[in-house]
Amino acid sequence: MFWEQLLNGLTLGSTYALIALGYTMVYGIVQLINFAHGEIYMFGAFAGLFLASYCGVNILVALLGAMAFCMLLGMLVERIAYRPLRGKSSRLSALISAIGVSIFLSTLMVLLAGTNTRRYPDVVPNHTFHLAGLDFSLMQVIILLFSAALMLGLQFMVKKTRIGKAMRACSQDLDAAYLMGINVNRVISFTFAIGSALAAAGGVMVGIYYNAVWPYMGTMAGLKAFAAAVLGGIGSIPGAMIGGISLGILEIMGVAYLSSSYKDAIAFGILILVLLIRPQGLLGQKISKKV
Amino acid sequence: MLNFRKKSKLGIVLCLLMALTLLVGCSGSNETSDKAEAPAEKQEVIKLGFLGAKTGDVANYGIPGEKGMKMAIDELNAGDGIMGKKVEGVYEDNKGDTGEIANIATKYITRDKVVAMVGDPCTGLTKVAAEIAQENKTVIFSAGATGTGVVEIGDYVFRNTLLDQFAVPSVVDWMVNSMGWKNIAVITSLNNGYSTALTPVFKEALKTQNTKIVIEESINDGESDFSAQITKLKKANADVLVFTGYYREAALIMNEAQKQGLAISLIGGDGLYGQDLIKLGKTAVEEKVIYYCGFSSDQASAETSKFINKYEEIYKEKPDMFSAQYYDAVMILAKAMTDAKSTDPSIFKAELAKLKDYPGVSGNTTFRADREPVKSPICLITVKDGNFVVLEKIPVNIK
Repeated sequence: MFWEQLLNGLTLGSTYALIALGYTMVYGIVQLINFAHGEIYMFGAFAGLFLASYCGVNILVALLGAMAFCMLLGMLVERIAYRPLRGKSSRLSALISAIGVSIFLSTLMVLLAGTNTRRYPDVVPNHTFHLAGLDFSLMQVIILLFSAALMLGLQFMVKKTRIGKAMRACSQDLDAAYLMGINVNRVISFTFAIGSALAAAGGVMVGIYYNAVWPYMGTMAGLKAFAAAVLGGIGSIPGAMIGGISLGILEIMGVAYLSSSYKDAIAFGILILVLLIRPQGLLGQKISKKV
Repeated sequence: MLNFRKKSKLGIVLCLLMALTLLVGCSGSNETSDKAEAPAEKQEVIKLGFLGAKTGDVANYGIPGEKGMKMAIDELNAGDGIMGKKVEGVYEDNKGDTGEIANIATKYITRDKVVAMVGDPCTGLTKVAAEIAQENKTVIFSAGATGTGVVEIGDYVFRNTLLDQFAVPSVVDWMVNSMGWKNIAVITSLNNGYSTALTPVFKEALKTQNTKIVIEESINDGESDFSAQITKLKKANADVLVFTGYYREAALIMNEAQKQGLAISLIGGDGLYGQDLIKLGKTAVEEKVIYYCGFSSDQASAETSKFINKYEEIYKEKPDMFSAQYYDAVMILAKAMTDAKSTDPSIFKAELAKLKDYPGVSGNTTFRADREPVKSPICLITVKDGNFVVLEKIPVNIK
């Protein structure tokens, strides 16, 4: 049972990691906790649902479509709700603005789609693999591989491309980066777009995996992913990945070996413990490691 | 399902105080304010007060209830009324609020001079109105309250919904003796009051039979990841899964079970009823999810289908449990008044308490000596080809 539960934990954890990356990247550059990020994830799940149900596309097109849609949505949110406040008012105002956007987006979806939980059409066959006494489903494989690919791609982009270099520069010092001729607004906008696209990918895959999409799905997932980002060290990209996967495994193992009644208590209890011992999170030590 | 008593005690007390002032205020203009002194026989029309929410969180219980009640009253008036007198319904909206229902109950009794109130569908609200009804010697007939401590308020208080503590022992008996399921898994939804109340009822009934609870797990409403629980369940070798929560989580649990290749039946209460069970669960719930209930519009028994057809004709929608129970409540009250040859609540309440095997549209109803309703038989419903169908009807023992 241990290996199967570990696989359950890895699957859940990868989706947390995808959302946590958006939190950590935005925080790394503008020191803003983007509380609307969970709702972007929810919109991604609905965008994928719309594409799969009404346009009958396959899972890859649904994933890419939802990611593209949320890129635009993330940039729009940044343009309307955060940029006008940047530099002019305190960080607290931006945080309140983020909470406002979060409430706006989830209630907007309630208006558009109602509060019911919806199911994805069967875009992925329910195929189970048996390997060395271990059962795992096709969707689990897709989630693990696609998440890994996205995270590797992100690492490559941040480390090896010009825009990645600009992002790293901005995360070190926004003003200095601006003086060096970097279009700071464009970099921030780009960061929101990438973070939102990753969240959308998580949303679509979770929607298909659990067969459940509903307007409030972003609230708890967003909170958990934020916790994962903090656990890994907010601002650190590898930290968000490790934090997300650890939180997923902790949650599942808590249910498997302790008690399902204390699922969230166990996960968050360990989070508090880690932060007491290492306030900067698992990988959050060096400023230069921020995005 | 309808345990609705989250409001603070202070709130209830304050509302009762408010109601009291209203009572005092009204009595000034009316010399015979004492209900018992005003003989109900002198009334030309017989008035029944509707208790239920037409707006707010629990309006989805009240709105169909009102429709069922109106339909029953129209049917009575199309005939001979009650002993030749016309019946009139008074329909106020209590918004599911304990303060509001206290005001409305007082208004019904003092100003409208109703002989009986029908409702409320929620336990907590019914209790507030029942205290007032008992004090003023007016019959209250709840069509939905399932919690404890309702009919104990007094001999003017009645209800006609299926009670879990009567139904579950029969369901468990069926599970063990008809299906041969002895190793039981139990899942409770911790943040769902209906589920945490129903689980002990199931466990109590399971204890009396030769069964073993092999695994007990919990979830929360609103979650979607049940992978760890199902993986554990797979290793526990249970014959059947008892899940006491609502349809949404039931569908997601069955989806996860199907995904992990676990073929197990899931049994629960009427909290599992909802079209979303089928929409979300699809093939995973087919002939796997079973729930018990007193009334289902999909059950098409002779007396019920007449009611269903007429209801659909009038309201262009299917009746639910509440419309059927409000309808029955009015008809049972009419029968009691006719049998007692009186519309005085203090007289016809005795006749009402004697009700035995009343063939209502929401099921056969008998009142026990303590006025608790026993509905027998109850239906076991399952999903087949994307529809709810009756699997079996099982009797409930009247103790």
